[in-house]
Amino acid sequence: MDTKQKHFPPKWPDRFLEFYCTPSRLEQIQGDAYELFYMNLEEKGLAFARFRFFIHVLSFFRWNNIKKSNSTYQSYNQGAMLKNYFKIGWRNLVKQKGTTFISVFGLAAAVGCCMVAYLFIANIWFKGLHQPNKDEIYQLTYTAEGENGLVTYGSVGRPLAEMIPDKLNMIQRTTQVMRDFPILIQKNESYNQRSLYVDPTFMEMFVYRMEYGYPGALEDPDQVILTHELSDKLFGDTHPIGQELSLVTNGEEKLYKVGGVLADLHDMDMFTFDLLVNIETHPVSTDDIPLKDSWRDELWTFIQVEKGADIAQMEAGLISLTKIQNQVNPEKPYQKLELVAFSDLVYKVGEIENGVRDFLGLGPQILLGAIGLFILILAIFNYVNISVLMASKRLKEIGIRKVIGSRRSQLVFQFLNENLMVCLFAMILGCLLAGFIFLPGFNEIASKNLKIDLLGDPFIWMFMGGMLVSITLISGLYPAIYVSSFKPINILKGNQKIGSKSTFTSVLLTFQFTLAIISIVAGIAFVQTNYINSNRDWGYDSADKIIVNVPNQEDYLPLKNKLSALATVTEVSGSQDYVGNWIREEVLDFGQEKYEISLLNAEANYPELLGLQLKQGRLFNSDLISDTQESVIVNQTFLNQLGLEFPLSEKITLDSVSYTVVGVVEDFHTIFFQSAIDPMVIRASPDTTFNYLTLQVTDGSAETTMASVKKIWHETVPRGLFEGKLQTEVFEREFSDVEGVRNILLFSAILAVLLAALGLFGLVSLNMNSHIKDYCVRKVFGADMGDLSVKLYKRYLIIWGIAGVLGGAFSILIISNFLDSFFAFHSGVGVLPIGTGLVLLLLVVAGTVGSQIWKIVKANPAVILKSE
Amino acid sequence: MKGYHLGELEELILLTVGILDQEAYGVSVLEEIKNQTGRKVNISAIHTVLNRLEDKGFLKSEMGGATEERGGRRKRLFTLSATGRAAIEEVKTLRNKMYDQIPPLALDFSYGH
Repeated sequence: MDTKQKHFPPKWPDRFLEFYCTPSRLEQIQGDAYELFYMNLEEKGLAFARFRFFIHVLSFFRWNNIKKSNSTYQSYNQGAMLKNYFKIGWRNLVKQKGTTFISVFGLAAAVGCCMVAYLFIANIWFKGLHQPNKDEIYQLTYTAEGENGLVTYGSVGRPLAEMIPDKLNMIQRTTQVMRDFPILIQKNESYNQRSLYVDPTFMEMFVYRMEYGYPGALEDPDQVILTHELSDKLFGDTHPIGQELSLVTNGEEKLYKVGGVLADLHDMDMFTFDLLVNIETHPVSTDDIPLKDSWRDELWTFIQVEKGADIAQMEAGLISLTKIQNQVNPEKPYQKLELVAFSDLVYKVGEIENGVRDFLGLGPQILLGAIGLFILILAIFNYVNISVLMASKRLKEIGIRKVIGSRRSQLVFQFLNENLMVCLFAMILGCLLAGFIFLPGFNEIASKNLKIDLLGDPFIWMFMGGMLVSITLISGLYPAIYVSSFKPINILKGNQKIGSKSTFTSVLLTFQFTLAIISIVAGIAFVQTNYINSNRDWGYDSADKIIVNVPNQEDYLPLKNKLSALATVTEVSGSQDYVGNWIREEVLDFGQEKYEISLLNAEANYPELLGLQLKQGRLFNSDLISDTQESVIVNQTFLNQLGLEFPLSEKITLDSVSYTVVGVVEDFHTIFFQSAIDPMVIRASPDTTFNYLTLQVTDGSAETTMASVKKIWHETVPRGLFEGKLQTEVFEREFSDVEGVRNILLFSAILAVLLAALGLFGLVSLNMNSHIKDYCVRKVFGADMGDLSVKLYKRYLIIWGIAGVLGGAFSILIISNFLDSFFAFHSGVGVLPIGTGLVLLLLVVAGTVGSQIWKIVKANPAVILKSE
Repeated sequence: MKGYHLGELEELILLTVGILDQEAYGVSVLEEIKNQTGRKVNISAIHTVLNRLEDKGFLKSEMGGATEERGGRRKRLFTLSATGRAAIEEVKTLRNKMYDQIPPLALDFSYGH
């Protein structure tokens, strides 16, 4: 450059030009651009010249002028290098099939577990987000004064929906949604199904894929739309469209035809329902009721606004709607109406009463997430340990690469690259594992309908991408940096020792063992608790009893008479609630205090029929009139909580009526072992009408009697839902839930042990391979199996011991909390689970290390020492 | 038309290179076109066309003539090749031939009726 030039073309565009321009053309182009710059500088001034230079650089940015990677020397070199990395990496993986399998399998299992956990959690949080109109849909909520301050409700007065189009602008459509549980009758079978009564616009606002029929089917009020599952259940293989079914609401039966069937929702919809019905056909809509009462009928109301509508502008309209409601219905004034975005509903679960989503179930999410994380950590530690050891076999390669001029960053990159390959395999295998083994199993256990939707779900790709990157970095960064830090001179001289006994490896191994112990303890403690609970005394005699429901008062006496007439039925008793289910709570006055107690209203013979164990006093006597009017029986917890002794000198007051406590029974389980036993009062009521009948049948005839009971029931109650069950089966659902959790825990425990074993095996066998000569020399000099075992076992036994102490302590802390959250009655974390965990792990250590010792014992020192 | 197909800008630039004789490169072609026709052509378009014409064999080029304002960088100097010259000839004769076939409009009084 000559000093005569005062100004120069702007730096950045110039650099950009040099960056992109192909070298063969750079000189002429840059020269011309410079020449034009100085011409412009002379004619129009600096600013213009600079601007034009920039424009010229941009205009030269053409395909022909741009550097292509494969045509230039520099980038060709990098491509070759990358290719080399992959080739070497691939060769290493193939050469060490065993260790590669351990790494890939471990990571894949972890990926599979995380995938299931992710899907489960995403299923809860991303529900409904696949709806194409989700950004335009809002739910109307109102806030009103409740008992403890302001409460926001998800359902609003029914007339509001009609007024919305007048009062708010930019509204595309409105729909009302009402939940009901009508009895569905089809071909003489009755079912209880979750129904949504909706406006026909519902199907336009929310988009569903149809399996049969068309979304507009609800326009015809006599048609219903079923979900895939319900259609399967009702009609099986027959074509569902046009089939008839009837729904009974408030005792009225109405006939419908099936107008459509939705494609499988995969549990991802915001609403949980089995069928959609036109709201016009619900008795609430058809009955003539005064305006004021219709405001009291509350239902979910959704609006869909025009695209780009500003919600803030609707404030005025909402205020005027609030005013109208408060004029009509001044008893319960709304503070304000609000619009909640459809996609925010899930985050407001706790804030909105009576909303679309009422609970999130954080417990299972945490449990699954924790299991996924456990397994992932185990697998990653396995991998880190193994890859450090594997790298020790490649020290020479590292040394030579460094000597030739490889920079440290390049080596790190190379190792991360190999890592990425392993993780990619693991990812693919993990997806397959999750999709074909874990997920079907989990769906079975949790009665869910999850699936991996690679085509329609962008989140799953984000999750998998994030997981791939994070696993690669977490598992690869330490080995890569550690291994690349050695000095080439040491490596090539053979002085470099890689830490097969390094503290880092030991720490990771200890951690792995600790995790394994915790998961074993969790599994075994749960199994133990389950075993104890399934054999737990329920506190009464559950054998040979049938419970049936009585839907209508007028059916009670006929039903009772007919059922008593059955030959195998020995005794019948009515009750308001039944033992084995939720029992209503009442407030009891005693002395100056108020107590919350469970109140069981029943016939006088109910306690005796149920076989409650009398502790003190007496049971009811049906012949004593006073017993059905002023006597109660209480359970032991009642006495304990109130701090009383039997017999009581005072009376207790319920609903301002005084009762004498005539007897005390032993505690019995009315609800499952998840909850503690509440103080209970059993009150004998005069023989009026009850909701349930309990039948005592002759020994062993319960199941055979069930059929005739059902027949009689259907004859007596023509349009009802039979909910009869055996007293022995009242906890059936709870037991199967708990069993599901148990299976998940056992599965994760087995997987954790397997991973720990695999990791240990990989570690020990790699160590053995590099020290085999050492051991053979010892053998030649007369070391026997005992000496060798001591030498080999010592380190792993120390690690096992430390992990045992840590794992035991942590499991006592974590697992007993976990059990507490699950059961009011459990065995606790005792000697059995921890002992079993320790022994199991010891066996694993003994087995894996033993197999290697066996290898030395079998080895012929002559062969090994001779080779090379 | 047999082989020599030339676009409008290509023809213009080919002519300019012919006029400039030994001194044709990006900026000089730009200036010459501006002086002769008043058209402002983008410099990158000129480069593209020059390269294309060279690929087609109408132009030859060599590097040379570094100057101060170019920061010591050489120019790529273009000259017409024999094919290029033939192409200009061809285009010119074709134009003239076709021009001659236009009937003399000024004598045809009956046209308007």
